[in-house]
Amino acid sequence: MIDYSAMLYDPIYAELGVEATLTAGAAGEVAITVIDDTRPKTNTSGSVEVRSVGPGAVARIPELAGKGVARGDYMDAVLAFNGRTWTVRSYELRGSPNGEDVGEVRFLLKEAAIG
Amino acid sequence: MADVREDILARLLEVVATIPNIRSAHRNNIDITEDQLPAVIVLDGDEESDGASDVSMKQSHRPYNVQMTPGIIVQVQDNNVELGSVVTAFRQELIKRVLTDTELNEQIVKTGRFGNGAIRYLGCQTDVGWTRSGFAALTAQFLFKYTFRPEQL
Repeated sequence: MIDYSAMLYDPIYAELGVEATLTAGAAGEVAITVIDDTRPKTNTSGSVEVRSVGPGAVARIPELAGKGVARGDYMDAVLAFNGRTWTVRSYELRGSPNGEDVGEVRFLLKEAAIG
Repeated sequence: MADVREDILARLLEVVATIPNIRSAHRNNIDITEDQLPAVIVLDGDEESDGASDVSMKQSHRPYNVQMTPGIIVQVQDNNVELGSVVTAFRQELIKRVLTDTELNEQIVKTGRFGNGAIRYLGCQTDVGWTRSGFAALTAQFLFKYTFRPEQL
């Protein structure tokens, strides 16, 4: 079976990944690599559109687990990267062909300053 | 020349722009950026007259009863936990200011003892979402009943 961690994720994170600091649960503050996944975000009410951003970041689950960050620690963790600090308000798992536990997690973020 | 519909909409924009803590006020601007929030937008909306139900032989330019329903949208980006009370506060100010504005009531729509016009609050809807923080919008509808006089256009 193909090792997607070595063949796919390693080169992608080596190229696109940025240094980040995650503060979560019992693990405390750990250094990880994330891919900035901030996207344009439009909310529509009636016919009026408001343009903003939906901040997000993708991390590798094996790296998180290896540094003591369990899935139960994701919510409300603080994630700092690319000069900004965010709070994890939700997340979604992205399974790998080799299984969920060696895939990625996409953190959905909000400004840390607003609680 | 007098166009009551335009007078109502223009005054509405002036009134909603006075709501405390609103950063920008717009009319028919449907493309807002987060830097403009909290924003209030007046949408011209629809109107109906009693022309379709009028079976009299009156001349076509004689007065009509018209009911117009502009929409007003308030959009907020704030701490998600506090969004509900923030939107409620804007709703209070919006309704109070529209229904009690002297110029709208007495000079333009001519409600109560000033004429047979009327201003009614019809209701509101809310939307919530996420951006870099919490987002909420409140869409309120008002009904303005006025006498439309084609000969004054």
